[in-house]
Amino acid sequence: MRGQMTHLDTDVLAEFRAGLITGRRGARITAHLGDCERCTALDEQLAGVRSLLASVPVPALPDSVAQRLDMALAAEVAQRNAAQRGEAALDQAERAGGDGTRESAAPRRPGGNRGFRLLALRVLAPAAAVVVLAAGGYGLSQLDLGSTSSSAASSTAGGAARTAASAAAGAESAGHVNEPAAEPSKAGAVPRGIARDDFSLVTGQRNLTRANLAQQVRTLLLVPPSARRTQTPPPQLRGCVAKLADGHTLELVESVRFEGRPATLVVARTGVEDTAWIAAPDCSDTHRHVLATAILPSGISGP
Amino acid sequence: MPDEGAPADHELLRRHVAGDADAFGELFRRHRDRLWAVALRTLCDPDEAADALQDAMVSAFRRAADFRGESAVTTWLHRIVVNASLDRLRRRAARPALSTGDEQAFEALVAQDGDPARTSDTRLDVDAALRLLPPQQRAALVLVDMLGFSVADTAAILDTSPGTVKSRCARARARLLPHLAHLQGNRSADQSVSPAQGGDTA
Repeated sequence: MRGQMTHLDTDVLAEFRAGLITGRRGARITAHLGDCERCTALDEQLAGVRSLLASVPVPALPDSVAQRLDMALAAEVAQRNAAQRGEAALDQAERAGGDGTRESAAPRRPGGNRGFRLLALRVLAPAAAVVVLAAGGYGLSQLDLGSTSSSAASSTAGGAARTAASAAAGAESAGHVNEPAAEPSKAGAVPRGIARDDFSLVTGQRNLTRANLAQQVRTLLLVPPSARRTQTPPPQLRGCVAKLADGHTLELVESVRFEGRPATLVVARTGVEDTAWIAAPDCSDTHRHVLATAILPSGISGP
Repeated sequence: MPDEGAPADHELLRRHVAGDADAFGELFRRHRDRLWAVALRTLCDPDEAADALQDAMVSAFRRAADFRGESAVTTWLHRIVVNASLDRLRRRAARPALSTGDEQAFEALVAQDGDPARTSDTRLDVDAALRLLPPQQRAALVLVDMLGFSVADTAAILDTSPGTVKSRCARARARLLPHLAHLQGNRSADQSVSPAQGGDTA
């Protein structure tokens, strides 16, 4: 008879049950479990942990998160569509010998010039991205789109896609556009956005949290204007917004909840970056009541 | 699960890469409940989980052409979600202090408990216990013990070996044991908890 085995350690037992201990050592553990009540009880508890974990129901995706994912996905699809339409327009420009005056996107031509299309996509992808972001109230001034820029500022996502297409139609001039989002120095040069005392209040219910404020604001900025409901802001809010923006170009004013309580989100371009303020309901031109602020790097990009 | 006759996951992904505007949405909606569970259990924070899931969705949308088909589409999606969640945990560990606001809002934040949907004591205790685990152990345990993935699939999702998955799960279970042992007896009772009715008069 072999010497008495000491009691099993929980880690060892867990490794044994996970199949990590086999051979003679495994056989010794099996033998020990056969005549040690204490270790058998521990073994049962360990099995109980697994069945307990398995019994916890899978949490349902909250509606608010589902809506947010749908919005983010819509922004991605719109961005990609814009890039594709720009590509198609570039095809047309190529056929027309560089005559870039057409406004509408050309239908896609099956079996087009592949090499040229690849080039077009590479050149246009950043341009189209910026235009769609502009439709979300963001960043158009980073890119000189010539005569089309003023219309894009107020356009819907679809309009932005057309703008991308017409910009693309001027293929030769678009060719110099490289990584526009990486040039924030241009951002302050061309004032754009909502005139300070002529903004609409976007009516939303999104609950923002202090811990994730910057990320959440970025998401809200990506919502296409066509998906936003707006109303005329009350006079007190106008005063508050004027006070906060302090002459800077507004990007977004939206009613939100902050940590569960009513508040107003104000985003303005304050130089190379944007600033987001969470204004309390009593904020006015004489009472600058801010619950939180966040600085957003200029140019939205994915992870 | 897809309906009978619905396109398979890889077919939807192929259509998405080919330019179909609706294919990715259909694919993602198919799996997002489970993907949410992975993010939520790994991060233990609904706001962070929502951010991670969105990051992952956008990343998958953009990088779909990189999918080579050596794993199932679901494995690929889960891997992106787990990575987005673990990235967030790393960043959270290194996050600088946030900008200031007023005291009231701060107190409201401290008082808040994250997930209002949590009702069951078991879930509360399991959630609390999961927080004790290192992220890599937690991710493995969530996939294998809570979501029912095989060790092999979990290894593919976590981009590691099956042996490592087994070892992380074993250590995680051993670590949780002292915190969960008290729940094992009353598990069935806990699930059937309902508001008291009738009986004693006040």
